[in-house]
Amino acid sequence: MNEKEKGILDTYELGDNLFDEVFADGLIPKTHYREIIKKFNHLSLPDFERIYKEVKDSFLNQGITFAVYSKDNKADERIFPFDLFPRIIPDEEWQHIETGVIQRNRAINLFLHDIYHDKKILNDKIVPADLIFSSKNYLKEMIGFSPKGGIYTHVSGTDLIKHSDGKYYVLEDNLRCPSGVSYVLSNRLALKKSLYDIFNKLSARAVYDYPEHLLEVLKSVSPNKTDNPVAVVLTPGVYNSAYYEHSFLAQTMGIHLVEGRDLFVEKDFVYKKTIYGPIKVDVIYRRIDDEFIDPLCFRKDSMLGVPGLMGAYLAGNITLANAPGTGVADDKAVYHYMPEIIKYYLNEEPILNNVETFHCENVSDRNYVLENVDKLVVKPVDESGGYGISIGNRLTKDEIEQVKLQIKADPRRYIAQPILSLSVHATFIEKNKEFEPRHIDLRTFSLMGQKEQFVLKGGLTRVALQKGNLIVNSSQGGGSKDTWVLNK
Amino acid sequence: MLSRVASNLYWMGRYIERVEHLTRYNKEIYFSSLDAPIIGANDSKFVLESILYMNGIFDIADMSEKEVLFKIGFDRDNPEAIISLVTKARENARGARNTISTDLWEAINRFYHFVNNYSPETYTSSGLYEFSQKILEEISIVKGKIMGSLLHDEAWAIIMMGINVERVIQVIRIINSKLNDIYKIESAGHEVTNMSFEWSNLLRCTESFDMNRNYYRAIPNRERVLEFLVLNDQCPRSINHSLQGISTYMKKIIGKKEANSSSIDFKISKLSAYFKYLSYDEFQDNVYELLNSTQNKIMEISAEIEKKYFSQ
Repeated sequence: MNEKEKGILDTYELGDNLFDEVFADGLIPKTHYREIIKKFNHLSLPDFERIYKEVKDSFLNQGITFAVYSKDNKADERIFPFDLFPRIIPDEEWQHIETGVIQRNRAINLFLHDIYHDKKILNDKIVPADLIFSSKNYLKEMIGFSPKGGIYTHVSGTDLIKHSDGKYYVLEDNLRCPSGVSYVLSNRLALKKSLYDIFNKLSARAVYDYPEHLLEVLKSVSPNKTDNPVAVVLTPGVYNSAYYEHSFLAQTMGIHLVEGRDLFVEKDFVYKKTIYGPIKVDVIYRRIDDEFIDPLCFRKDSMLGVPGLMGAYLAGNITLANAPGTGVADDKAVYHYMPEIIKYYLNEEPILNNVETFHCENVSDRNYVLENVDKLVVKPVDESGGYGISIGNRLTKDEIEQVKLQIKADPRRYIAQPILSLSVHATFIEKNKEFEPRHIDLRTFSLMGQKEQFVLKGGLTRVALQKGNLIVNSSQGGGSKDTWVLNK
Repeated sequence: MLSRVASNLYWMGRYIERVEHLTRYNKEIYFSSLDAPIIGANDSKFVLESILYMNGIFDIADMSEKEVLFKIGFDRDNPEAIISLVTKARENARGARNTISTDLWEAINRFYHFVNNYSPETYTSSGLYEFSQKILEEISIVKGKIMGSLLHDEAWAIIMMGINVERVIQVIRIINSKLNDIYKIESAGHEVTNMSFEWSNLLRCTESFDMNRNYYRAIPNRERVLEFLVLNDQCPRSINHSLQGISTYMKKIIGKKEANSSSIDFKISKLSAYFKYLSYDEFQDNVYELLNSTQNKIMEISAEIEKKYFSQ
């Protein structure tokens, strides 16, 4: 490259008062980004744009898309935006995250077992009993039942952010059917194919082994002692927005991807229908929410589930991963108590920070929130996907009054947190043809089986593509990045 | 294999094969008509009627050429339109996504996106040839992936069964459609000096023209074309060849030969044995009857396969 030519990152500008993952003040690259910036700066803009287009085409051809239906019934398929500049996490930072996530999951499992059995933590008034019993995700069917190996959350997703103080905070736990792991693997593959050169000097920890570990975890919790238990992935079907992920996981684990109609229950055992007759199933990795898994037990209008599945489960003949009723622990109101929950069960200090949370059901918290709506993020406790969130400093006076009315009408439904400043990362913005800082978060994926706990090295870095936007969910226009944990 | 996935694979095979035949038919009939030597066969209404006939639409009313091409190509309300068939082939592949190879899935998915993104306006005004040719190429890739990127196990046998069942049905329909065209030309009282043109067309519609010439080393005529497409056991498009295929794939699916005379395998073997030992002289006077009864039998067999393997 000609000395005078600018590298594609040379036009980058730091944002005001933002924690930049890549650059320190004066646009000096941080140590762990130095090599990759050199590599990127060797690319010309047209080269970069060509590679970017190839990657987008490859995602489309692989079917890593979500569908948007137009009026004439034509399905317009879009890819989830993928940014080619990877997010890099140094090893020591990663060790901190990994041990913190494992600690959290251990505590969550003990908590779930407790609230469905002896309820000690409620009797000891560490967590208010009302908070648990009023949750629609607390399933009375699960009371007194112990899942195989005491494991409730075989798969969990922990959302973390880095605040302007440079520290990681847990934003929320996802303990039902956390999705996104297939993007981690696909992003890595796409980056390896398109920018293979950048892998030469840096060595990122592998991510391909996630499905192998998932299969081991599923087999380890089989109710049967057979050497080769039959595990399946249960999907709502091809029209579900995460179908790509479901089929990807089934395929990479080498097990069947089933829909509810492919299974049936007879005498409390579950079978899959095959061309040579029924075959008994031992473990179901279900990607269907609790309320849809069994029309006999939960929602009667569910066409996605399997009639009698809960009966078979409670009879101990099938393992569901995750266990039903885990949603009670990822409620945003329960999140508030997570540091106490960790101390209570493990007698350890929490490794990962919790964001300070005000719980509107509590009178003094509520009063504080009502007076400070403009300085807080107010979230409904029972929504996901970034819906229903109000960010105080973005609201008009009228909107603030609206939020106050909502809180007063149903305090149990709302929590509030200080407005956190998510860290930013250089991200290619197609329409401006340059890299700009955009807010990011990190979803880690961890597995818990009878024999091991495993955390996928890295996870899914989600990026809010709109300037200044803090909401990274794909349903709200977010994209993603490959995430590298560097080898020591 | 899951029964539902078996059904997905079977229908994926059938839809892919159907798109191939309809596309080739539309292309061959349309372009050959442009300089047709036979009076009547170069009339655009005649051509459009022939194309709609293959699509199962028997009333042309006063549709323009553009309207006809749109209907068979991009009208999503027409279940037999190319876009509808390709969408269904791809949806079935998606349902069986983790049974088929990534290579095969990506070939089908790319094929779908090509069709879905193609402008209907271009297709109906100037793109018929290019569009059809590209579809046929994409299908060759898909079929190459079916042959080369899958274990030749029962899942593969089910796809091949779908392809061959559909091929029998489509070849019968194509022969019927062309016989219908020829009958119309003859009964209109035109003096026909060169009917080999229509017989050659029929061969081209089944991609068998070169094979036929290599086999007979003679100009195509009624006998050489019908004998070839119905009975030839080396031509992969012939009814006889496809029936033998169905019989072979069925055996692969059931694993062992069933002796029961009411079994599906028995019915298929009986039908394919009939064609194996049939001669042109025996059916030349009742071609329609033979074709129609064969089509009915193969549809009955298909229904039985679906009932036995895909629905329980």
